[in-house]
Amino acid sequence: MQISISRYTVTTVLLVLVAGVVSWLLEATVGALPIEFFAFPMNLILMVLWLIAVVELYRARSKNVIARYLLSAQATVSAIVFAAIGCLVVGLQSEPATQSYIFVLMVLYVMSVVAMVTLRGWRVQGTVRWRFLVSHLGLLLALVAGFWGAADYQELRMIVDDTPRQQAIYIDGTAKKLDYTLRLAEFDVQYNEAGVPEQYRADIEVDGNPVTLEVNDPYNVSFAQSIYLMNFERNDAATRLVVQIVYQPWRAVMVVGIVMLIVGALLMFLGGAKR
Amino acid sequence: MIGWTIFPVFAIVAALVGVVGSVAAFRSSLRSRVAVCCMWVSTAVIMVFVAGLWIALDRPPMRTMGETRLWYSLFLFISGAFTYQRWGYRWVPSFATMLATVFMAVNCFKPEIHDATLMPALQSVWFIPHVAIYMFSYALLGCATLLSVYSLFGRQRVDNAVESLLYGGVAFLTVGMLTGALWAKQAWGDYWSWDAKESWAAATWLIYLLSIHLLRLKRGSRAVVCAVIVVAFLSLQMCWYGVNYLPSAKQSVHTYNR
Repeated sequence: MQISISRYTVTTVLLVLVAGVVSWLLEATVGALPIEFFAFPMNLILMVLWLIAVVELYRARSKNVIARYLLSAQATVSAIVFAAIGCLVVGLQSEPATQSYIFVLMVLYVMSVVAMVTLRGWRVQGTVRWRFLVSHLGLLLALVAGFWGAADYQELRMIVDDTPRQQAIYIDGTAKKLDYTLRLAEFDVQYNEAGVPEQYRADIEVDGNPVTLEVNDPYNVSFAQSIYLMNFERNDAATRLVVQIVYQPWRAVMVVGIVMLIVGALLMFLGGAKR
Repeated sequence: MIGWTIFPVFAIVAALVGVVGSVAAFRSSLRSRVAVCCMWVSTAVIMVFVAGLWIALDRPPMRTMGETRLWYSLFLFISGAFTYQRWGYRWVPSFATMLATVFMAVNCFKPEIHDATLMPALQSVWFIPHVAIYMFSYALLGCATLLSVYSLFGRQRVDNAVESLLYGGVAFLTVGMLTGALWAKQAWGDYWSWDAKESWAAATWLIYLLSIHLLRLKRGSRAVVCAVIVVAFLSLQMCWYGVNYLPSAKQSVHTYNR
């Protein structure tokens, strides 16, 4: 037992070292991760290639040494430890370096291990087969949506007042014309007796159609696109609203992943520690 | 009207009943009915206070550290009662009572009375499930940690109880984290944004997953698994309130109680 633990430690340390060296080389040659490069359709192409590689590796598992490694207990344990260390480091940073090469490589490694064991889990018959598949496939989908979908995630800000407007801006300041107009109809702040705001409510018009925005209650233009109430400026003359527009095309994949993970957790609670 | 001023009365009653239950459990070689009853009575006492406070504040009491400690005490009694009823380990009532009493005592001396307003950011259908599920999971994992320490240094093997509590606790930890992700999408636009609290929650979850995988893959000695469970619980404390003191949490969107 003790031998296997020390072997796991060595594997994990090696893995982190290799990832560290590769990231350092990438940082030195390519520079910071060019996240825009990975926007659609590049992410989709790369994801399909990655999937093919994983499936091919899995099919060659009897002779391929990398495949055998990715399916070993060692790979599972080191993936979890690597990810835990990554999260701890990020949790200590004021500006989380989740777009650093080492973090990206870590997620890619974890995702590949999860994909391999999910493929194997499909073939293994046992009492916990469904629980295993639901949780691991759920985690895989959530990781896929977060990782491959990251470059397609867009966040825009827009000032909305009583004239219909279409111009929004990205965080970096570049402008984007929306394919609908937004206009503020009414803005209301409810205060309690102590004079503390209890709720903010904005009635806006999307292409002339009235919708309501509240804190915790955005308006979904489509499943992938939502408008959030962010801030407001008010003086005697007028009220100006700041809204956030989020475009997340991979949202459906993420939702399916999260729901499957929840189902997996419930199955785990009901089934307990059975084998 | 129930409020923090009369909380010490509830706390003392719950603690004393818990102590009676603990003594009964220790004196009985079989599962003591008195102990089971006492644990549930303590649960009921705290539950009445929580319900009363909820009505008095006109909002769910889940916002301040004091309020989450209250839920933690409640769920400790519940999981203590349940664990003792199910497995009959005689030290469980005393462990649960001791831990719950510590948290109730902190609340007696430092109640952190806050106004009744629930800030708009917390007004969401996800608020109650997210916090309640997490507190319940913390209580189960707290019991699992104590049992692991006992397992490390004691003579009796309690692996089955540790494993069951771990599975229950991690299942709830997962659901708590994911309800948080779904809420984050509603509130801020994305499911996950690597805020300090989120990163620590992910790290904690992963360390717990490590313990479960070590158990399932039959890797690592009992001592290693128990040590991992203890480390995971330390990480959980960081996530729960420790991050508030970290420089990385200065910009955190998760600090409502400062």
